[in-house]
Amino acid sequence: MTQSPFATMLDALTRQRGVVAALVADERDGIVIDSRVHVGQRGDRVAALAASLYRKARMSAHAAGLGDVGFLQLEAEMGRVCAVGRDDVVLVAVATSDANVGLIRVELLRALEGLA
Amino acid sequence: MGDDVHSLSDELARDPASLAFLPLGEVLRREGRLDQARRIVVRGLERHPHLPDAHDLLARIYADEGEPEKAFDEWDMVRRLAPGHPDAAKGMGFICFREGRLPEAERYLQEAQAGAPADERIAGALAMVRQAIADTPAVAEPPTIAMPAMRMPAAAAEDPRFLFTAVLTDDDQTALLLDRDGLVLAGAYHTWDGRDIAQDVGAQLSGVSDEATRATRHLGIGAWRSITFEAEAAMVAMAPTADDGLLVLAAGRATPLGLTRRLLDRCAAHARAWMEGGA
Repeated sequence: MTQSPFATMLDALTRQRGVVAALVADERDGIVIDSRVHVGQRGDRVAALAASLYRKARMSAHAAGLGDVGFLQLEAEMGRVCAVGRDDVVLVAVATSDANVGLIRVELLRALEGLA
Repeated sequence: MGDDVHSLSDELARDPASLAFLPLGEVLRREGRLDQARRIVVRGLERHPHLPDAHDLLARIYADEGEPEKAFDEWDMVRRLAPGHPDAAKGMGFICFREGRLPEAERYLQEAQAGAPADERIAGALAMVRQAIADTPAVAEPPTIAMPAMRMPAAAAEDPRFLFTAVLTDDDQTALLLDRDGLVLAGAYHTWDGRDIAQDVGAQLSGVSDEATRATRHLGIGAWRSITFEAEAAMVAMAPTADDGLLVLAAGRATPLGLTRRLLDRCAAHARAWMEGGA
């Protein structure tokens, strides 16, 4: 079985404490390219929502004259969504509230280099 | 950032007369460790009492701590030591404006602009001060009987465009409070030529909050509390407010993510108090 080019980065992301899902999705349509999700998570739904959020943030920032968007974090009562994107591809991590965002950010940015 | 603190602290420990207290104080201030920053700078000033940049840094720390009088005095000292220092005049101008002393604010900001003609924030602030002066009704003849209390000038201290001025003390920070329709309730966002584009920026960014609401509902992770993202030109943070409103904070790209979050919290508390007080 052929391993996807994103497998290593997704594995590294899911090893971070509190990360319950890590995905690579197409930013335009939110379709999952590859994913690592824990039991109880629906990868397709997570990908679509996170990709849409990232796309909206990117377009809004452009329209507001703020330029390209890098790392994005959505914090909610019971969890958080972190994302980075490049060339219509979004890398997403869904994590619990107690996850270390600093480490997730570093891992996402490192993985982003791999998307280049 | 932590490495900077350690290396600068080490340098200062090795040589207490070193000027390392300046970058160290600045790093601590930016991290929100104001008490430590103030102590470092005060100690540095004991050895370098005539250093304008040290007094300027102490003034900004006082401003962050909500001590405008002390900040004003320090900037006044800077102007004595280094006439024409644009940061000092600018800081004093902002303080005067917050206190409703509009002619003084205009005078200081004019002085600041003369020292830094390319600084768009000064130009923007000066434009707003002049607008506020123009909007202020002419003062009536003084009454012949004593008034029960001094009246504050009907001026900019009450101007919602300056709601966050007391919280945001760095030039590259700005905040907007939007209603549920994305319309600006308070705050301002200026371009280099002094134009207020708050309405445009607010309208564009408010769409992100709808997307956040949709995402958190579907993911079942509770209500969203904040969104932060690193854009090319700024760090942007958003938080929901009462009545489905939105608080948007933009800070310079060099602002650490953690500090951006802290600033957002401070702005949110300020906005909450204003909404409750203004209701």
